[in-house]
Amino acid sequence: MIEVQQLVSERHVVDDFGAAQEWFHARKWTDGLPVVPPTAELVGACLDWAMLDPQHLIGIEPVRERVLTAEKVAINAVMAGCLPMHFPVVVATLTAMLQEPFVLHGATSSTGGCALLVVINGPVRRELNMDATFNVLGASDRATMVIGRALRLVLYNLLDVRPGEADRSTLGHPGKISYCVSEDEENSPWLPLAEERGSPRFASSVTVMAAGSPRQILNEWTTEPEQILDTFVAEIKANMRHYSIWPGNYALVIPPQLRTHFETAAWSKADIREYVYRNARIFRREWADCGKGAVIADKGDREYAALPSADHLLVIAAGGPAGGFGAVIPPWLGTTSQAVTIAIGTCVDCEI
Amino acid sequence: MSIEFLDPTHENDSAEFALAPRLRTLEGAVVAIISNGKKNTIPFFDAFEAELLNQHKVREVVRITKFNYSTPVDASLLNEAERWNALISGIGD
Repeated sequence: MIEVQQLVSERHVVDDFGAAQEWFHARKWTDGLPVVPPTAELVGACLDWAMLDPQHLIGIEPVRERVLTAEKVAINAVMAGCLPMHFPVVVATLTAMLQEPFVLHGATSSTGGCALLVVINGPVRRELNMDATFNVLGASDRATMVIGRALRLVLYNLLDVRPGEADRSTLGHPGKISYCVSEDEENSPWLPLAEERGSPRFASSVTVMAAGSPRQILNEWTTEPEQILDTFVAEIKANMRHYSIWPGNYALVIPPQLRTHFETAAWSKADIREYVYRNARIFRREWADCGKGAVIADKGDREYAALPSADHLLVIAAGGPAGGFGAVIPPWLGTTSQAVTIAIGTCVDCEI
Repeated sequence: MSIEFLDPTHENDSAEFALAPRLRTLEGAVVAIISNGKKNTIPFFDAFEAELLNQHKVREVVRITKFNYSTPVDASLLNEAERWNALISGIGD
């Protein structure tokens, strides 16, 4: 049990709840929304639940040499609205983001304005009442909303990633408030995303990806997997033309109505990945169609694939039951940042 | 009723950074520029290099480009740093 005296953060005292809100807003310690005042008792409860010492080192952001301790992360998690049971997911997600291939500093400070997409798999989804169905890319449930927001407040307060400070986004997108989804494993014939990416079966896991905003597609006029995927591929190609031609991780979010057709045709996620890998390609000369002729140079006949390999596609089963919709989530910028998957409770740097 | 809460920030706990000693003059100095590597920075750093050479009489400008503009500079690019009098971290977009 954590004693409140073990918490080393500076303490502040204000008159009441309203004064606390103004304190946080005035110092840019929040994202514009109200926060839960992080009292020692609430922060201690998070640490107790995760069985973490307050000074447990979750990681160090290498570019700015910022230290992320369990205590400081718990404070921000409480502010975001997290309950103690949400806190281990926040810790795991930050651990994943601090892995070198993710390039956390670049992904959170770039003018490109990507957000931190989190996909959650395993039993923790049910334990935390996550909902992978209606409005899954919006505010679908309490747990995913507050976990995603906790990450943003950690960036604000521990890494100075505030708009105009370390966050240099030209535009950003709404996912920068919270961008966390769970996968609809119960209603999917497919392997969960994390298991496909190496997490043990039945483990709870997180996958993180530096991601642009979702691009919604619609095709409810066919049952053929190839034709459905051609619509997704067209959207990927549009992103390659209009935004960035460089290959990287893309994510597809596929709701039940479209999943049914893949299931009927016995298409696995691997089949989908392979089809998209083979077909999501453009020639550089196509940039002339959208005003970018100046940078074609002598590379017009060069073909660019959206994915460095089929495994770079993240296929996520999620969404409400009705509607032939889907979504393409593009990468921040090619392979500069790579998606990372880890199991919750994993201590990546621990000595055993 | 008053509320006591914990500070959510890093409380300036990062390593201490100090400015490097200033050069009295650039004349005759070897100055390195590390570019973050974005394409549009090239003409800017070209002009900067010319200004260092022509107006400030710098002896040599060493141009270095990071392998990845989103990560710290690779240590292998700093092998010759001992012979530089000044190093400029260049960021452009």
